Amino acid sequence: MSPYYYLVLSAALFTIGAVGVLVRRNAIVVFMCVELMLNAVNLTLVTFSRINGSLDGQIMAFFVMTVAAAEVVVGLAIITSIFRTRRSASVDDANLLKY
Amino acid sequence: MTHLLLAAGNTAVSTPSVSYHALAPIFIVLGAAMLGVLVEAAVPRAERFTVQLMVTIVGLVAALVVVGLLHGTRTTTPSPTGNDAFFAGSLSIDGVGLFLQGTVLALALVAALLVSERSVDVGSPIVASAAVVVGSADDRRLTTADRVQTEVFPLMLFAVSGMLIFPIANNLILMFVALEVLSLPLYLMAGLARRRRLLSQEASLKYFLLGAFASAFFLYGLALLYGYADTVDLPGIFTAQQTSGKSDVLLYTGLALLLVGLLFKASVAPFHNWTVDVYVGAPTPVTAFMASCTKVAAFGAILRVLFVGFSSAEWNWRPVIWAVAIASMVVGAVLGLTQTDIKRILAYSSIAHAGFILVGMVAITKQSTASVMFYVLTYGFTTLAAFGMLMLVRDPDGEATQLARWSGLARKSPVVATVMTVLLLSMAGIPLTSGFTGKFYVFRAAWDTAGPLVVIALLSSAVAAFFYLRIVVMMFFAEPPVDSPTIAIPGWAASVALTVGVVVTIVLGVFPQPVIDLASKASYFTG
Amino acid sequence: MLAPYLPILLLFALATGFAVFSVGIAPFTGPRRYNKAKLDFYECGIEPTPQPMGPSRFPVKYYLTAMLFIVFDIEIIFLYPYAVANKALGLFGLVEIILFVATVFVAYAYVWRRGGLDWD
Repeated sequence: MSPYYYLVLSAALFTIGAVGVLVRRNAIVVFMCVELMLNAVNLTLVTFSRINGSLDGQIMAFFVMTVAAAEVVVGLAIITSIFRTRRSASVDDANLLKY
Repeated sequence: MTHLLLAAGNTAVSTPSVSYHALAPIFIVLGAAMLGVLVEAAVPRAERFTVQLMVTIVGLVAALVVVGLLHGTRTTTPSPTGNDAFFAGSLSIDGVGLFLQGTVLALALVAALLVSERSVDVGSPIVASAAVVVGSADDRRLTTADRVQTEVFPLMLFAVSGMLIFPIANNLILMFVALEVLSLPLYLMAGLARRRRLLSQEASLKYFLLGAFASAFFLYGLALLYGYADTVDLPGIFTAQQTSGKSDVLLYTGLALLLVGLLFKASVAPFHNWTVDVYVGAPTPVTAFMASCTKVAAFGAILRVLFVGFSSAEWNWRPVIWAVAIASMVVGAVLGLTQTDIKRILAYSSIAHAGFILVGMVAITKQSTASVMFYVLTYGFTTLAAFGMLMLVRDPDGEATQLARWSGLARKSPVVATVMTVLLLSMAGIPLTSGFTGKFYVFRAAWDTAGPLVVIALLSSAVAAFFYLRIVVMMFFAEPPVDSPTIAIPGWAASVALTVGVVVTIVLGVFPQPVIDLASKASYFTG
Repeated sequence: MLAPYLPILLLFALATGFAVFSVGIAPFTGPRRYNKAKLDFYECGIEPTPQPMGPSRFPVKYYLTAMLFIVFDIEIIFLYPYAVANKALGLFGLVEIILFVATVFVAYAYVWRRGGLDWD
């Protein structure tokens, strides 16, 4: 099977994630969409690694996974701290800064 | 794939040789941050603040001294060994890198002093305990308690270590890791304000979601460039542009996505949406830290990506830089004009300044590199001190940032009004201040290649000057409000920080030549 | 082509067969004596924690535990490549991996001392 299909798949996943960030309103879901984008990137990296015939892309995927995990922790910490006050995780409720 | 894995298994791995002394500043700051975490774990609460402050200051000063000792270094590390060269040369310690590292460290030192200011607000500008639910009984009690969340210092050191790696990273995946190391602590620090905590937490959430979104774009750009060049090394990508037979679509899409992530960090329009809200919501000393240090690091990375990795593709990215520079200057100047809150005005001014800095980048010359380096230095100190001044003018419930509350301030405190005037004039680019010399060198560097852009920059800086001068006029010539805000007397920490900021602003305006010489001597890359 | 995998497949089949057999035979051969502890939820021998109240509301401490788990869990990712190549990397690799583990340990010490691992 041609590895190029995986590039198309990962581009589609990345786009779904990006659109999700823009249209969804729940902070947790927005955040999951960002994670989807990062994982789409991982798929791209691994596919290019296969196409280029080098292992570098797979090494980079490790780094992306680690950074994504760190991001999850920081993000969940911020979201839960807001949630405990507001009892809701909607980004529309977070509107004190809008004028 | 199997044959690849086997091949990797059979090859003798030769260990890379890392030049540790060239990376010493990073190790020192990271080590201090680790020590800070251990201090949080081991030292009793009463002594934590003093110990943390000492660890932070000593770490930053030591790193700054080492950067000074390293001057003139030209090296890339780790040195390539054997046939596996993935991380070879991924950090390049050169003039530009060291100059920007020194700038970040000096600014972070001043910002750390602002963060540690305890006599302006009860306790500190930083929240007593970030985990306590906003509005609960505990929260109300702690607002006026003498406690402080001392984790802010290790967080700051972690962010600084990311900022030290960001402008010297020659390898895009390392640049990405540095980007996250500098961003993640900043997301948390933005949510640590003592007053108006909910606003601060929302700023933190907004910064986090948009920041993560932008770094995903950076990463996708990196992946496409890897597909194009089979490497994420900037010099390797540069070589690949001459030799690679792959489609240019990968190259240009990759570069564009990469730039989205970088321009976001530098708060350049049209990727500036987070800037104002986050700057307003974050605790003021943290805002000062973000506005100065993050900008230095982000523009350092943009410089390196464009000048080392893509200098032969300049005809393709130059129009983009033109467009975002114009957008940034216009958005900053015009929207800044309509604001009624000083913190928001300073935030819009930072967007406009990002545009001015980009003007310096349209010409790929040594001179333009030096002008950008000089500009971020001058702007960093000025903006740091300007945000620091906001901490001093207070209402009972926190800082009085409404423009109307500042009217007639000169009668109440001529010193505060005068200092603020100097800083605002510098931001406006009036001669004899560092803002003027910075703008002058940036515009001169760009004049030959981008005359029209410089004209637009001059026009928008004239528009921007209007709203700075409006604040000055209000402070000196308007009637003070009936219940005029109180002027807090800063403790030693903030006094030192503000003095340094103002002195640098004036000295670099009157006598800039040594620093300009230093910047132009340091404006070389090794790649 | 598949020859090297044959033992693995055989082991897999054996394991599945054993599991199905033992679970399937238990109802017919085992004695039936019920008490309260037996009917309780099984949580590795720990007293079961109260279930969340209302629909899909988990106490914050579950998130805290999950976050700590993710961080420490993912760090393992760098230990595997080292374990594979530790001979080739020699002393350099050992020093680097010790530095890495020490870094993670600093975070662990912080969490532990500040009560992040206490459930109540």
